[in-house]
Amino acid sequence: MLSSELLHIGLNHYLGLSAVIFVIGMLTVLLRRNLIVMLMGVELMLNAVNITFVAFSSFNQNMNGQVMVFFVMAIAAAEAAVGLALAVTIFKHYKEIDISAFEQLKS
Amino acid sequence: MEAAIVFYGLSFFMTVLSLGVLFNPNPIMSALYLVLTMIGVSLVFFMLDAGFLAGVQLIVYAGAVLVLFVMVIMLFDLKREVYTFSRGFFTRLLKVFTGVVFLIILVKSFFLVPETKELLNSSTQMTTKNLAGLLFTEYIFVFELLGLLLLAVAIGAVALSRIKGGTHAE
Amino acid sequence: MNDSFLFAVLLLAPIFGFLFNGLRFKNKNYKLAGAVASVAIGVSFICSVVLVIKLVAMPEASRAIHVHFYNWIEVAGFNANAAFVVDQISAIMILVITGVGLLIHIFSIGYMSHDDRPSKYFAYLNLFIFNMLLLVLGDNLLIMFVGWEGVGLCSYLLIGFWFTDQEKAAAGMKAFIVNRIGDAGFLLGIFFLYVQFSTIEFSSLNTLATDLAASGPLGWSHPLVLACICLFVGACGKSAQIPLYVWLPDAMAGPTPVSALIHAATMVTAGVYMIVRLSFVYMAAPQVMTIIAVVGGLTAFFAATIGMTQWDIKKILAYSTVSQLGYMFLGVGVGAFMPAMFHLMTHAFFKALMFLGSGSVIHAMGEEQDIRKMGALKKAMPITSATFTLGWLAIIGVPGFSGFFSKDEILWFTYASTQGSKWLWVVGVLGAGMTAFYMTRLMCLVFWGKSRVPEGTHPHESPASMTFPLIVLGVLSVVGGWIGIPHVISAILPGHPPNILGHWLEPALATANLITTSAVVEWSLMGISVSVVAISGYFAYTAYIVKTDIPEKCVKAFPRLHGLVLNKYLIDELYFGRIINPLIDISKGLWVYVDVNFVDKLTYIASDFVKSIGRLFGSLQNGNLQQYAMYIAIGVVVMLSFILMG
Repeated sequence: MLSSELLHIGLNHYLGLSAVIFVIGMLTVLLRRNLIVMLMGVELMLNAVNITFVAFSSFNQNMNGQVMVFFVMAIAAAEAAVGLALAVTIFKHYKEIDISAFEQLKS
Repeated sequence: MEAAIVFYGLSFFMTVLSLGVLFNPNPIMSALYLVLTMIGVSLVFFMLDAGFLAGVQLIVYAGAVLVLFVMVIMLFDLKREVYTFSRGFFTRLLKVFTGVVFLIILVKSFFLVPETKELLNSSTQMTTKNLAGLLFTEYIFVFELLGLLLLAVAIGAVALSRIKGGTHAE
Repeated sequence: MNDSFLFAVLLLAPIFGFLFNGLRFKNKNYKLAGAVASVAIGVSFICSVVLVIKLVAMPEASRAIHVHFYNWIEVAGFNANAAFVVDQISAIMILVITGVGLLIHIFSIGYMSHDDRPSKYFAYLNLFIFNMLLLVLGDNLLIMFVGWEGVGLCSYLLIGFWFTDQEKAAAGMKAFIVNRIGDAGFLLGIFFLYVQFSTIEFSSLNTLATDLAASGPLGWSHPLVLACICLFVGACGKSAQIPLYVWLPDAMAGPTPVSALIHAATMVTAGVYMIVRLSFVYMAAPQVMTIIAVVGGLTAFFAATIGMTQWDIKKILAYSTVSQLGYMFLGVGVGAFMPAMFHLMTHAFFKALMFLGSGSVIHAMGEEQDIRKMGALKKAMPITSATFTLGWLAIIGVPGFSGFFSKDEILWFTYASTQGSKWLWVVGVLGAGMTAFYMTRLMCLVFWGKSRVPEGTHPHESPASMTFPLIVLGVLSVVGGWIGIPHVISAILPGHPPNILGHWLEPALATANLITTSAVVEWSLMGISVSVVAISGYFAYTAYIVKTDIPEKCVKAFPRLHGLVLNKYLIDELYFGRIINPLIDISKGLWVYVDVNFVDKLTYIASDFVKSIGRLFGSLQNGNLQQYAMYIAIGVVVMLSFILMG
């Protein structure tokens, strides 16, 4: 019973995978000091979301989810471009890429 | 049965690789792990019968975005970091704890999803043609908007990098 | 013209002058400033005259013009209107205030010609007139209180007008603080009256108090008696009676016209005016009236003794003012409200005259105030000297001059009233004798005798703008008394001139019961007081002109007594030693031991608590982006938990 449920790959499996990747991406954003690696974490989270989109789309036979994935990818690319440009600017200013350089933002 | 083995294997590798992104102190290694994770994601798309998206995933992420990351890393000449993680033991613990709780909540919430249908392979509706049809009819406005956004991002990125005379200025 | 318009002009003209001069206070054009200020007061004077003429035309029993502008305060049963009234009492006051005020304004134009802030001076003066008019015209105690505080403020500003001199600034503060003690009493008095009668309007207060008194004598703890005591404390502060008189001699630090206007003619009589206004209320509390009479008598006596030993011309006049105010309080204390008002009026004339005369002398002597350095100014300053002589004759009470009639009337009431006593009469007569002594002494040392003017000072007669008011006031000092000639005197005069003032005031005032005596008693009392005055005047003349060694011998005979009186009975020192310094010590003790150790600590604990909580939550906002992201994550987790579990 248990094994058949485990062996039969359903929607929940994909969602579980996506949840794991999402949380790892989130922890990357929360824990890593390097701004570029933080951006990588954001990409991970976006991809996790994409997995859920595609999973739902496939299991529900609905194409709209895939269209959304298409858009998310475009947005993710844009976000990466802007984020990296910002990283470049920060690096030029502080000569480092540590997020703690941003602590000046407080009041 | 084979599908299960492939899925679990793939899931295992993707988890390990994304943990690599999280834990490797060297940014360039993180980027490498990220590329591998992206490839894993595109394989998952294949498994979900979304071949076009899998291709796009490979091209956009593994091809373009990651190249961008790697280029920036090389531009800064980033080495292995001394301080990989944010300060404060308690804060770190709290962050990890938050993440774990979040994961538990997510997984629990999946069981709220109603009973799903079987995955139908090579369904007639789920073709790239249909995707293109949707994209260029129902979503054409968003699609055009996206084009504008990308243009703005391109200009913005260039403008940002050119602050104070460009990348190589003193 | 309609009444409210007249009132509005009467009150607002000085305010206009105040604003005009106050808004250009840096301007040094003393002629323009003085002219505008004087014209403003002149307009007020004309309005006053018109009002009084209207009043005269009214039937005797209901002579009062009430004007109600608007409801000022209206809170749950308490009602205070911006309402004003001119009746027999305030008619005299507004005539004196605007009339004498006008003369003093004109005098000031000459006096302040060398000052570098004339606009400010005239602005203050106009503001004072406005507040004084509020005080006397107010239809209820609250309006009067506003004016009362306002004149106190102007008095403070004008005493400390030359505030760059530390001593003069201190004198201003002293006046303000001592007045404050009195004002507190005044306010408490208003509260007590409101508690008792639930109204603060004069007319209703007087009627209600009469009704109350008819029901039997009141005990000491009755609100009305307490109110009378508190109001009298207020009057003591404003009118410089024992024990709050100490500020008035120091108030001479201000410009001399100010001393004439505020500290002789008008403001200091506010206390007398207030008691006269509430005469029916005071008649309901005879025990308080006894206190007033005793305080007034003692003030009249002791201030006169101090006046005999002073050398500063303005200080002598200041103590003389205190003494004369004592007579007024003696008068109201024995129920002689009409004579008190009469004396208030005549005193305003002759004391303003003498102050302005002294101002003229001081101006001529180049700010010298010590009478030992004057003498024989009669030749140099004929007009000042002549008018001053008139004032002198009036104040010492030479028959025929204004002071005689009013002071004698008070003394007669003191003797004959059921409220009065023979002892108070003796004190009064002795005070009158001493008044004659020190005023004659002043005349001898300043205007007569040999010149002791130091080399280099060339006294000269003052300009016309200063002598004109002197002449007018001089004439008033003589004829001012003729409107209140007592019955016994008019009986022997040709044509039997009536007691106009007495007749005028009678309907508005309470009257004391007099012991029926024959005219012989009145004549003999008059004779005694006049002869006492004559003897002491002659003695002063002898001592300071003929045999100038007499004063020194007297001083040597009673060195300790003289020292005591010369140092004003050490009252200031007593206040400092017994009240002010202990108060400061106690305050310091409270500060060091109670405040610092206890109160401050408590507040520190509270503030530390708040601070630490603030620091705790402040650490959340530390600029660390990743922590912010964590807050978002925690927020999402919490929200999801609520959605999924709830």
